[in-house]
Amino acid sequence: MNPKYRVVSIIARGALLACAWAAGAALAAPSAATAAAGGPPTATAPATPASGTTAAPDVAPAAGVAPADNFKTLDQEVQGLKKDVIDLNKDLFVLEEELLFPSNTQVALYVSMDVGAFFALDSVTVKIDNKEVKNYLYTAREADALLKGGVQQIYLGNLKVGKHELVAFFTGKGPAERDYKRGATINFDKGIGAKYLELKITDRVAKHQPEFSIKDWE
Amino acid sequence: MRRALLGLSLMLSALLGVSSPVASSRAAAPSLVGKNAPDFVLKAMDGRNLRMSEFRGQVVLVNFWARWAGDSRQEMPALDRINTTYSRAGLVVLGVSVDEDLGRAREFAGAMKVSYPIMFDTGAAIGRDYLLQKMPMTILVDRAGVVRYSNVGFKRGDERAYLDHIRELLRE
Repeated sequence: MNPKYRVVSIIARGALLACAWAAGAALAAPSAATAAAGGPPTATAPATPASGTTAAPDVAPAAGVAPADNFKTLDQEVQGLKKDVIDLNKDLFVLEEELLFPSNTQVALYVSMDVGAFFALDSVTVKIDNKEVKNYLYTAREADALLKGGVQQIYLGNLKVGKHELVAFFTGKGPAERDYKRGATINFDKGIGAKYLELKITDRVAKHQPEFSIKDWE
Repeated sequence: MRRALLGLSLMLSALLGVSSPVASSRAAAPSLVGKNAPDFVLKAMDGRNLRMSEFRGQVVLVNFWARWAGDSRQEMPALDRINTTYSRAGLVVLGVSVDEDLGRAREFAGAMKVSYPIMFDTGAAIGRDYLLQKMPMTILVDRAGVVRYSNVGFKRGDERAYLDHIRELLRE
């Protein structure tokens, strides 16, 4: 469904729901008042828990309009609305992304890290066509998340169709806790479709060194 | 008669024109109180990268300071005492230097010997996000990441106001 109509339908359903709640509250209030005025069942209930009858069952039938069923349906309605809002939010996010980064100019960069025994990531700087587009500092938690298999979208932008050069600089601690800075370069052809590139940090066990590469996801 | 009325109205408008900027300058300066604390990540003096949003769930006091602001020299020891006392209760104190001269800022921070992390911001984005007007500036962020208190400058006794707010936020 068109997101605009979905927004309108959600608002309308929300308004209806609010009316239903108000009506329910208006019905419940006099019944509670009459139950309280009746006195003994509600007032004595806490003092005699062994009697087996509590205040709630006494009050509930007095409402007259099966409130339990009403509330159950209302709860389902609320859950449905929440789900709709989440779906709508997702659709809006996708639409926004399509609008800001149309697929024919979109370029997305991802960072992944494997093992990480020889490298502790501190920051990544990305240059496209000699222009810095991203400089990202990693906290210990973020670096841990990458080591656990997380893949981070570090950059999303637009590029013209044609040839481009991407340079990524990785800084951090290398083997023996030494400061380490390495770069990786890729020359790529941006076609009509979206371009996905992955900056990969892997361990080269034979050399006891980290390895940095850029993978072009065709 | 018309001329007299015109003159009178001009005088009145001139008076209003003079008085309105004064009134507007007296109006409250833009503040982040009640808004979400903007996220930032900076390198701390010990080499760690710290991200503001990672302290969600704790009460955070962020102190923006500069070497050239004399009040910073008075405020930092007071904040250090607060940090020592309340860090175990869930308070995080962060110092953010806005000095352009990184070397001298590091030197200054080293001399102050504070126990809380000091970070260095040489860009303008964080200052813009936090509406920095005057140094030092201190803000308190609650466990949900909302700015609850802001203080520009520092004078003796301000630390008592900080403590009142910190205790209140820690109790929430």
